[in-house]
Amino acid sequence: CSKDFLNKPPLGTLNPEIVASEVGVQGVLIGAYSLVDGEGASGDGFASGASNWIFGGVASDDANKGSDPSDVADAAPMEDWTITPTNGAIPQKWKLCYSGAQRCNDVLRVLPLATDIPAEEATQISAQARFLRAFYHFELKKIFGNIVYADENLTLDNTTNTTDVWPNIEADLNFAVDNLPETFSDEGRVNKWAAKALLAKTYMFQHKYSDAYTLLKDIIANGKTTKGEKYALLPHFYSNFNPAQKNSAESVFAAQTSVQDGSSVDWGGDPNGNYGDILNFPYTGGPGACCGFYNPSQDLADAFKTDANGLPLLDTWYSGNHVSDVTTPYVGNLDPRIDWTMGRKGIPYLDWGNHPGDAWIRNPGADGHFSPIKNVYAASQKDSYTDVGSAYWGPTELVANNVNIIRFADVILWAAECAADAGDLAAAMDYVNQVRDRVTDSNTWVKKGGSYDAANAVYTGGTNADTYKIGLYTSFPSKDYAIKAVQFERRLELAMEGHRFFDLVRYGTAGTVLNAYYDRYRSIMPLKANAHWTAGKNEYFPIPQGEIDNLNSDGTERLVQNPGY
Amino acid sequence: QKTVTGTVTSAKDNQPINGASILVKGTNVGTATSPTGTFSINVPAGKKILVISSVGFDDQEIDVSSQSTISVALKEKTSSLDEIVVTGYTAQKKKEITGAVAVVNVKDMKQVPVGTGEEALQGRASGLTVISSGQPGAASDLRIRGVTTFGNNQPLVMVDGVRGDLHNINVSDIESIQVLKDASAAIYGVAGANGVIIVTTKKGKAGKARVSYDGYYGVTTKGPGFDMANTQEEANAIWQQRINSGLQPGDEGWGSKQYGTGVNPVIPDYITPTGAFEGDPNTDPATYNINSNQITRANKAGTDWYDVITRNAPTQSHNISVSSGSDKSSYFFSFGYLNQQGIARFQYNKRYSVRANTQFNIGNKIRVGENAYVFYKNNPTYGNQGEGSPFSVAFREDAIIPVYDIAGNFAGTKSQDLGNAQNPYANIYRSKDNKSNNWDITGNVYAEVDFLKHFTARTSFGGVVDNNYYYYFSYVGYENAEGNTGANSFTEGAGYNSSWTYTNTLTYGNTFGNHNVKVLVGTEAVNYYGRNLSGTRSNYFSENPNYWVLGAGTGTQSNAGGAYQSSLWSQFAKLEYGYAGKYLLNASIRRDGASVFAEDVRYGYFPGVSAAWRISQENFMKGVSFINDLKLRGSWGKMGTAGNVGATNPFNLYSTRLGRSAYDISGTSTSPYAGFFRSNVGNPSTTWEGDIITNIGVDATILKNKIDFTVEWYKKKVNDLLYGAQGPQWASLYVGDAGLPQVNIADNQNSGLDLSLTYHANVSKDFKLDVTGIFTSYKNKIVSIPGSGYFDAGGIRNVVIQRNEVGHPLGAFFGYDVIGLFQSQDDIDKSPSQPGAAPGLFKYRDVNNDGTIDANDRTYIGSPHPDFTYGLNLAMSYKSFDFSAFFFGSKGNDIYNQTLYYTDFPDFFKGGIRREAAVNSWTPENTNTSIPALYNTGSFSSDQSTSSYFISKGSYFRCKQMQLGYTLPGTLLSRFGIEHLRIYVQSANLFTITKYNGLDPELTSTDPSSANANNLGIDQGNYPHTPSYLVGINLNF
Repeated sequence: CSKDFLNKPPLGTLNPEIVASEVGVQGVLIGAYSLVDGEGASGDGFASGASNWIFGGVASDDANKGSDPSDVADAAPMEDWTITPTNGAIPQKWKLCYSGAQRCNDVLRVLPLATDIPAEEATQISAQARFLRAFYHFELKKIFGNIVYADENLTLDNTTNTTDVWPNIEADLNFAVDNLPETFSDEGRVNKWAAKALLAKTYMFQHKYSDAYTLLKDIIANGKTTKGEKYALLPHFYSNFNPAQKNSAESVFAAQTSVQDGSSVDWGGDPNGNYGDILNFPYTGGPGACCGFYNPSQDLADAFKTDANGLPLLDTWYSGNHVSDVTTPYVGNLDPRIDWTMGRKGIPYLDWGNHPGDAWIRNPGADGHFSPIKNVYAASQKDSYTDVGSAYWGPTELVANNVNIIRFADVILWAAECAADAGDLAAAMDYVNQVRDRVTDSNTWVKKGGSYDAANAVYTGGTNADTYKIGLYTSFPSKDYAIKAVQFERRLELAMEGHRFFDLVRYGTAGTVLNAYYDRYRSIMPLKANAHWTAGKNEYFPIPQGEIDNLNSDGTERLVQNPGY
Repeated sequence: QKTVTGTVTSAKDNQPINGASILVKGTNVGTATSPTGTFSINVPAGKKILVISSVGFDDQEIDVSSQSTISVALKEKTSSLDEIVVTGYTAQKKKEITGAVAVVNVKDMKQVPVGTGEEALQGRASGLTVISSGQPGAASDLRIRGVTTFGNNQPLVMVDGVRGDLHNINVSDIESIQVLKDASAAIYGVAGANGVIIVTTKKGKAGKARVSYDGYYGVTTKGPGFDMANTQEEANAIWQQRINSGLQPGDEGWGSKQYGTGVNPVIPDYITPTGAFEGDPNTDPATYNINSNQITRANKAGTDWYDVITRNAPTQSHNISVSSGSDKSSYFFSFGYLNQQGIARFQYNKRYSVRANTQFNIGNKIRVGENAYVFYKNNPTYGNQGEGSPFSVAFREDAIIPVYDIAGNFAGTKSQDLGNAQNPYANIYRSKDNKSNNWDITGNVYAEVDFLKHFTARTSFGGVVDNNYYYYFSYVGYENAEGNTGANSFTEGAGYNSSWTYTNTLTYGNTFGNHNVKVLVGTEAVNYYGRNLSGTRSNYFSENPNYWVLGAGTGTQSNAGGAYQSSLWSQFAKLEYGYAGKYLLNASIRRDGASVFAEDVRYGYFPGVSAAWRISQENFMKGVSFINDLKLRGSWGKMGTAGNVGATNPFNLYSTRLGRSAYDISGTSTSPYAGFFRSNVGNPSTTWEGDIITNIGVDATILKNKIDFTVEWYKKKVNDLLYGAQGPQWASLYVGDAGLPQVNIADNQNSGLDLSLTYHANVSKDFKLDVTGIFTSYKNKIVSIPGSGYFDAGGIRNVVIQRNEVGHPLGAFFGYDVIGLFQSQDDIDKSPSQPGAAPGLFKYRDVNNDGTIDANDRTYIGSPHPDFTYGLNLAMSYKSFDFSAFFFGSKGNDIYNQTLYYTDFPDFFKGGIRREAAVNSWTPENTNTSIPALYNTGSFSSDQSTSSYFISKGSYFRCKQMQLGYTLPGTLLSRFGIEHLRIYVQSANLFTITKYNGLDPELTSTDPSSANANNLGIDQGNYPHTPSYLVGINLNF
């Protein structure tokens, strides 16, 4: 009796031998892709979302955390840099990225066991897996600095975070560049050009501008999407954030999202809509049904002020009256991108009507007066690109709005940086002007009294919602000016997309920019009251204490805490 | 063969005894007495001894070789020592027990009017702790000798020899309950580590058919609820927050959207439109729009949400049983109906149950029988102990919010600036049509054969099939701040759990002179299997319950399902040896194999040995007259548990899950590719958690059998504690997000004292008194945890409360020790530097005296484990009146009252404020208080840390039941054929003495069904116990 009686295999699962086939390995690869959106691994959370809204946004001058101060309290220290190694938000990102890396390693481990895969396909599978592994480590690198490279050879004995991992990231990306095809029939896969772009970004973070520039020029000249479409800036700025226009010519690498696929009620993980940003909707009204987080800062709003020529106020944006100030608002020119970047009182919020101001803000004293908009959806898109996300606090909305990780405008502005660094000021100006040029068309601006065409992210009819004025640069008089203009342009173009803090660290200006910003706001924003960014420490977030305790617990020091924490 | 007739009476009052059993010794020939105490029996040739017995009386043997008419007066039993106690595959007389076996007084137990078997056991057996919530039908924490493992702490429950559960048993059907606490449970091997509760249900007794009815009806009162601030007090508190935060009128952030921005708050007439007054054009009912202008009046007095969601709830129970027996067969049938309405509106537990136990004797040597129990239950329950559960939103929802808006729709936090709680009444109202039904069959069939004089073979096959069925509708709470515009959805699901147990035993029993020997060998196979499925659809055009079918939804659909299986295969042997009734030795061994472990580590051996010395039987004790019985016992046993180990544990596995492995690789927005991910990393070397229990006990009966007492000391050492893998090799760096196996990691130790004492006093012929006290204590200590030596757990949001660390008890509260409030800036300057320090906030103890308060100053600030728990039962009778009372208490435990985060810190989330916090928080003018100052934002020095402010003493003493009964005189009733009629009035949970600052100190863990140690003693908003009042009758025909 006993022997067979006690053999009770687990039900509803697969053993590795069964997975080791062409379809199985492709499935494991999909599993590796599925964490690109930052959600779906145990230990994930709002902080692990692909948009990096907490680490890249709240930690910068782009945005406030939002909601009540104690809500998602682990994100509050990102506003004032009181973050400690025991903070609960940091392990979410750490675990998610290492889970992603291990899923890539699983692909590489199972692949050799499968005997039915043609060599060329096998190479493409490894190239995708190695691209994704590089991506997950890139995320870790920019957030935590001193990290471990978890490739398929990592063991307890060779684990260390004191070795530079940039070469490992570059090696994986070079393999991907060499072995990925230009196109796939699945438009969500990464291709050769995405690999080149991520490699260029790797160079940017290492200040290897000339290496980056070579790659970037190649991408700008020859790059195409996985669908085979040549990279281009879309005519309408907001098309980049429109679920109906995903995987367009401007999309280089994006986290794919989906809704109505049954995942919203599958609590074995987090749903496939953009769960990382599920809190980042207006409060008590408008889209999303919850929760009043990630409010754009007043400083960001002010950055969109333009002068008579439609150029940004590179040094004085914060002086004078504040944009949309409750009592004495600024009345001058504005870059039209402002109203595609944040919801402001009295301005149409897609087709949700005019933003009502503080009625949509949960706690104006702490959150400011603006709502995020790049992650939302149009009222007319409800039900076609949204889904119910059953949360215990009520039915919230999930959106099939891809999260841009690299879009072509980003690539062009890196090229501008490289050109400026190389002293080619004309080229730098030309790159910046390319990005600005597409928003000079007043047909692409937010209109009052018009109707919003959600298929194309454009208003038809109506009049300009505010005094918009944008112009092209006519000269970059000096290298310093060029660098300042390029950096400012990145802030405007890529605001609220989770890049800002990492850019500031990369530029080396985080201390001056952020501390000046805190000084301007500490008397009125409770969470900024004691904010201070410390050079030599706050370039990176602390490594989660629990990970250090655990990995070093047998007496072998594998993880060293970042300096200053 | 000859016929013997006679009468049986009680020696005490000469009244006839009905239903006394008459058995011809050495045969199965028997009969029972009539209501007048008479009997007639045919005694087979060669037999001459009759054994006459009746419950509550000592057996008597009569030699009838020279008489054919006898008159027997039975002596009332003065000691329970001859009670037969089931101890695991065998039965022993109580006086022969060598292990720690608590025998429950079932009659006392049944007096507490509760809906589940676990609740009935509270305080009834020393060493057994039961903690329940006030919610009818909710699961209880059941622990024998405390919490000892990180995983499953629930004891094994055997019902008539089959693995069963106490939760849904009809308490009226129970004949006896024994609790095995030490090596006596070793015969159950792997299942015995948390102790074993053995339940035997009633059988038919010899005699004519007996019909009995027991029923009660009563009301559970709603209780006092929370003492929350009214609207004005709350508004004042909000203003105080602004002032304390350094704001002045005119500053950004001053005032509130509802109460204006003036020097003093002004209560508006309406909360939607925000802060509006009569005459505002948007308050014109014609402008009402449920989405954009949900016109809602302010409740200027304040809504008492607890009062709104609760009611005085009726409760009733009815049981009818019929039983009979003869020398050929016996039967017991019962029907039970329970209808317990919860004090939370719309919540209830209804159960219909039927039991049929029968046995047939085929000749003298063969017995066959069955036990069967079927119930059907409707018991939709709420989440409890969580920030979204009804009793939590009741203190979180703001007082100014009325229940309904002007149109009669629900009002809520969509009215601005009032927090994010939900209308608690709306929540429970919307749950009223949800269904949660179970039907379940439990039982077994068995056969026993006696052969070769001394042998008995027994086979039993039994099991449980539990079917559950549920559906619920998720409404869009249009009135709430969050989730007010989503889509509704409907979920329907079903599942079944099954298990069967197949047991075969062979017993040999014989006596050689003074040597008494019994040997048992057996095998047992246990199999578990279950499946479940559910489906969800969204976007229902109508929310009418009649429309609720899965096919009617028009939006997103999804489904889910799962299955599990596991098995156990065991062989066991047991020896019971006694010498002259003085020296007793029991030994057992069991070999278990479990499917959840890899093949080479699947089997374990679990031995147990116990011995007893009945000192009172020694000659030198003969002269000690005040000792009637004295027994010294000792035992040692090794047991095991498979904890929470599942079938996946040994294996590396891949799975597919929409939420975890699917990715929309082709950009469709709706049709992702499913994908695979490594769902489990296996550990093939995981094996049994081993428990070694040593026990020393003394049983004594003294002072003319008036006092029985038992004292037990024990040590339970748990080695290779099973827990989710810990340690460097399991870090996400190496294993990603794969589920980790249970591994054998830590060691833990409990020691403690169990005590029980019963005092029987027949003060006079008419006045009797029985007092029973039960005392349970344990001391828990973690002996080792690999890696860092600790791990943290427990709490809501980012609040981590409990630390499991070597040298400390499981789930100890870990945080900062508040030594007072900062009284001034000067006070802050003189104190160790502390982040967020401000006047009126917590001053923490500088534990390491380094002049700085940081993470190193966290310390152990409390323990959820009581020093001891105790039960006290009083039973008195005077003539036809009887009175009983039962008290239960817990002493020395701490409670982490997490509800205070919401009620005392209006910055944590806006919403309801505790009255005491609103009117007596620290201000420069009100410094003689322990309640911290109210601020706009939290800080390390207030609500962003785990601190002793939230610790409250959890000791309590509760009157669980008190009743007064009257038995009608027999002469009056016999005319109607009624044998016995008793009526009574009763109160349950009549009063509670406690210093606990929350609603109810009797707190279950957050998730009793998972039975783990985390979240023990944390109050996250609990369904309370409240007094109930009942009348009942007991009737026999």
